Amino acid sequence: MKEHRKKRLIRALSIVLVSALGVGTILYALNSNLDYFFTPSEMLMNDESKNISSSRRVKLGGMVKENSFSITGSIISFEITDFKETILVSYEGLLPDLFKEGKGIVVLGKMHNEVFYAEEVFAKHDENYMPPNLDLDSS
Amino acid sequence: MIGEISHFLSFLSGLIFLAVFLLSIPMYSSSSSLQRFVPNIFFVAVLSLFLSFSLFVYLALTDDFSMRYIASHSNTNLPGFYKVSSIWSAHEGSLFLWIVFLGLWGIIFWLFYNSKEDLYVETLGIISLILFLFLAFLLLVSSPFERLLPISPFEGNDINPVLQDPALAIHPPMLYLGYVGFIIAFAFNSAYLIKQDFTEYPVARIKNFSLIAWAFLTLGITLGSWWAYYELGWGGYWFWDPVENVALMPWLAATALVHMLFVSNQSKSIKAWTIFLSLLVFALSLFGAFIVRSGIIDSVHSFANDPTRGLYLLLISSVIVSIPLFYYLRFLPNLFSQQSIKVLSKEYFISLNNVLFLTGIFIIFLGVLYPLFMEFFFDDRISVGAPYYNLLFAPLAFVAASTMVLSTDSLWSRPNSLQEILRGSLIASIASSIVTVIIALLTDTFAWWFLGGLFFSLLIFFKYLQSVIISYLDQTKVNVASMIAHFGFGMLIMTISLNAALSSEKTFSMKTGSSAIFADYNFTFDNLSKLSKSNHDVLEATFIFEDDKNKFLLKPQKRKYFTRGEITTESAIKIFPLHDVYITIGEQQTSGGWIVNVQLNYYTRWIWVAAVIMTLGILLSMRKKKYV
Repeated sequence: MKEHRKKRLIRALSIVLVSALGVGTILYALNSNLDYFFTPSEMLMNDESKNISSSRRVKLGGMVKENSFSITGSIISFEITDFKETILVSYEGLLPDLFKEGKGIVVLGKMHNEVFYAEEVFAKHDENYMPPNLDLDSS
Repeated sequence: MIGEISHFLSFLSGLIFLAVFLLSIPMYSSSSSLQRFVPNIFFVAVLSLFLSFSLFVYLALTDDFSMRYIASHSNTNLPGFYKVSSIWSAHEGSLFLWIVFLGLWGIIFWLFYNSKEDLYVETLGIISLILFLFLAFLLLVSSPFERLLPISPFEGNDINPVLQDPALAIHPPMLYLGYVGFIIAFAFNSAYLIKQDFTEYPVARIKNFSLIAWAFLTLGITLGSWWAYYELGWGGYWFWDPVENVALMPWLAATALVHMLFVSNQSKSIKAWTIFLSLLVFALSLFGAFIVRSGIIDSVHSFANDPTRGLYLLLISSVIVSIPLFYYLRFLPNLFSQQSIKVLSKEYFISLNNVLFLTGIFIIFLGVLYPLFMEFFFDDRISVGAPYYNLLFAPLAFVAASTMVLSTDSLWSRPNSLQEILRGSLIASIASSIVTVIIALLTDTFAWWFLGGLFFSLLIFFKYLQSVIISYLDQTKVNVASMIAHFGFGMLIMTISLNAALSSEKTFSMKTGSSAIFADYNFTFDNLSKLSKSNHDVLEATFIFEDDKNKFLLKPQKRKYFTRGEITTESAIKIFPLHDVYITIGEQQTSGGWIVNVQLNYYTRWIWVAAVIMTLGILLSMRKKKYV
C-alpha cells in the first residue's frame, strides 16, 4: 500500500515538474520574441523600462512624412513622424502596395545610430488604416 | 420582392430549428413517439435555409443593388463567378455561408446516420440549437438582407482586387466546410454527455463525418497558403498572422481528435480524451470566428471592426460550449474506465500525442492572446512574431515525430519494454543520422532546426520502410492509409526544413536594359509595357532569365484597379521541380530605375503536396472498419 502511494506521488510530482518546465520554456520564448510597438516620440524618449536598444527588434508606427521618400540604389529611405518627432527609416526590399506619403505605416526592425533599419514594412489591406494611438496624437 | 422572400425563408428556418431543438428535449428522458417526425421537420428547416441562400445568390448574379450588401461588395463588371464569391467577401455574407454549411452538415448527418441508432434525434436537436442561435445572430445583428430604398445605386462598389482570384474564391468555403463539419462530433458528444448513459460509446458512427471535415480543413488551409504565396508578393507560405493562427488551433485539435477516433474502438480507456477533443475542436472554431469577426485583433484577413458583433458572438459561443462542458466536468469520473493507462502501451503514446497537440494549441493561444492581455492591463502595445512560433514548433514537431515512430512498436493495453521499443527504431535512427550528416555537408547548413528536421523526417521514412519490408517478409498486412498520412507528416517536416534552409532572396535596383546576377541566374530587365484590361490598367515588366541549361521569360506586373483605385503587385513565377524563381517589381526611383525583388524558393510546392498526401491518407482510411 505504501509502495503504491509512493508511486502515485512520484507520478504526480513528475507531471507537475514537466508541465512547469514546459510552461516556463514557452513563456521564456514568448518574452524573448515580443515586438514592442512605439511611436517616434516614445522611441526617442529612450525609456529604460521598455529596453529599446540596438539589439532589440521593435515595431515603429506613424505617418510617412510628405516629401521624405527617396531611393538610392536598392535602399529605400523615408521618414516616419507622429507630428512631434521624426525618425529616418532605411529599408531594402519591396514596399507594400498601400505605402504612400502622408499615410499610416508600421515598420519592424532595429534602431542604430538614429536610423531605423527596417526588416519588414507592413501591408495593410485597408486604405484608412491608422497605427494605434496616432489618430489621437495628431489632433 | 425576392430579397424579402429570401429574408423570410431565413427567418422561418430559424424558427423551425428552434422547434426541432425543443421537440428533441423529451428524447433525453424517454424514447417518445416524436422520434419519427422530428427528422422531417429538421429537413424542412434546412430546405428553407438553402432556398433562402439560393435566392440570395440569384440576387447577386442579377446585380440587385437595392440590396445594401450586394451594392457594397459586387459590381456589374465582375464575372459571374466573382459575383457569387463576393457574397463571402465580407462579414454578413460570409456568416450566411457559414450557417448554410452548418445546415449542409446537418443534412449530411440526417442522410447518412442510421436513424434507428441511439442519439440520432438528440444530435439533430443540438445541431438545430446551434443553427437557431446563429440565424438569430445573422438576422438581428448582421443582416445581409438590408435594402437601399427608395434610391438604389446603379453600380456596385466592387470587391477588393486581391480577392478577385480563383484560389481565394474557393478558399473560404473549403475552410468553412472544414470548421463547421466538426459540429457533428460536437453535437453527438454533447448529446452523449447530456443523456448520461455511459455504458456504450458508439463514437465510430460519426468517425467518417469528422474525417471528411478534417480533409476540407486541411485543403482549405493549404489553398490559403498557396494563394498568399503567389498573390501577396512576399513569397512566403505561412506568416503566423493572428488569423492564420486561429485557423491552425482547430486544425491541431482536429488532428488529435482524428487520431482518437481511429483508436477509440481499440481501447475504452481513452474515451475522456475523445469527448474532450470533440468539444475542443468546435469551441476553437467558434473562437476563430469570434477573433476574425470581432475585429479585436488587427490582421490582413479580418473583417471590419465591430465590437457589438464580437460581444454577441462571444455570448452565443459561450452558451454553446458551456452546456456540454458542464456535463463533461460533472461526469468526468464516469468517463474513465477502471483500468489506468499502462506506461509505454499504445494508449500511453496516444495520450502523449494528445498532450503534444494541446501544447501546440497552448503555444498559439498564448501568442494570440498575450498582446491583448498586455494592452488591456498594462497599456503596452506588443506583438508576437514568427520567431516565437518557429522556435517552439520545431522541437514540438521533433518530439511528435519520435513519439510516432516509437509508438509503432508498442502494444494495446500492455506495456512493451523500453528496450524492445528502442531496438525497433535502432536501424532507422542510424540510417537517418547518416543521411542527415551527408545532406548537411552537401548543403553546408548546420542549424539545429535543419539537422533536427532532416533527422526526424528521415526517421519516419526509414521506420515505415522497415515496417513495409518486415510485413512483406512475414506476409502480414500493413495499415496503408495510416502509413500514407504519416509519410505526409514526415514530408511536411522535411520540406519546411529544406525550404527554410535553402531559399534566398535579393533586392536589386534596375533600369530597362540592365542586367544582374543572382545565384546561378543571369537576368536582364528587357522592357516595360502598358496594357489595358476591362477593370484595371497593367504595367508589365519583362525579364529574361538565363543559366547554364534554361532560358525563360518572367513578367511581373503592377495593376491599378479603376473602381477603388487600388494598386496591386502581381508576382511572376517560373516553376521547376524543386524550386521556384519568384520575381516582383516595386517602386520606381527618381532616376528612372525600378526596385526588383528576386527569390529562389525551394520546396515550397512540396509543402502543399505533403498536406495533400496527409489528406489522401485520411480519406483512404475511411473505407476501413478496424484499425491498428
